[in-house]
Amino acid sequence: MKIMTCPLNGPRPVSEFHYWGEVRPMPDPATASDDTWADYVFNRNGAPGLKKEWWCHTPSNTWFIAERDTEKDVVLKTYFYEGDQ
Amino acid sequence: MSANALAVSPVAEIATLPDPAAQKAAVAKLGIADQSLTPRHGCKGPGAAAWLESLGLPIPPQPNSWLPVDGGGLIARLGFTEFLVEGPATLIARLASTPRSTGVYPVLRQDVALLLGGARLDELLRQTCNVNFRPLDPAARPVVLTSMVGVGVTAIPEFRNGQPAVRIWCDGSYGHYLWETLLDIAVELGGGAVAPHSFN
Repeated sequence: MKIMTCPLNGPRPVSEFHYWGEVRPMPDPATASDDTWADYVFNRNGAPGLKKEWWCHTPSNTWFIAERDTEKDVVLKTYFYEGDQ
Repeated sequence: MSANALAVSPVAEIATLPDPAAQKAAVAKLGIADQSLTPRHGCKGPGAAAWLESLGLPIPPQPNSWLPVDGGGLIARLGFTEFLVEGPATLIARLASTPRSTGVYPVLRQDVALLLGGARLDELLRQTCNVNFRPLDPAARPVVLTSMVGVGVTAIPEFRNGQPAVRIWCDGSYGHYLWETLLDIAVELGGGAVAPHSFN
């Protein structure tokens, strides 16, 4: 059983979590070029590596960030999102 | 929004009770009781704690913990800014009718609420739940948000008459599935459906 650690609820089976994709800063739609905006809307980075991802502990609806090595499927750390700064 | 007790339990059609003698025998092993008609109120948001405190309710300081409420009942802190209050109908009606402050949002609580308890409770929890309840100290008043037979639940471990017990809330739409699944296991373990007062 894979275990993921929710920053609030602690270690739980990964079946209690939902993956919501890589953290992807949104370009400013007012100033971004069409190509930049289209890249943001349509393309995802599928290359394996160290990524920051959105995950949710579904029983408590707790959203947080997981830093995960998607090549080795190892979660390095989890923490709460602290804004866009 | 009306936030008084549900008119009908989500499991009213199937939560039938055997005779009192059978209930007494069942509760010693593993009783399962429907408490869905207990009045409750839910709210969340950055202003929720201050609003509830202004209404005289104690606020659990830690996320995922609970405190008793005067007159019976409890207030559970679910995560950082969400609260579940169960208690006397007058209290719940007051919460429902008092204008909410800024940053307080209602949470509809049409839960199925169950109480399970008995000597073989841990065997049921081990079959159905991801969390090991045995190391938890009910005196510390923990609240556990986890998954039970695939259903997201809120659970509070406690003791009733010296026996381990657990209170469970989940979305009412899962009520039939959760009741039937847990009752099947309870029966296998020598228990069965009981009235809530059987635990007193």
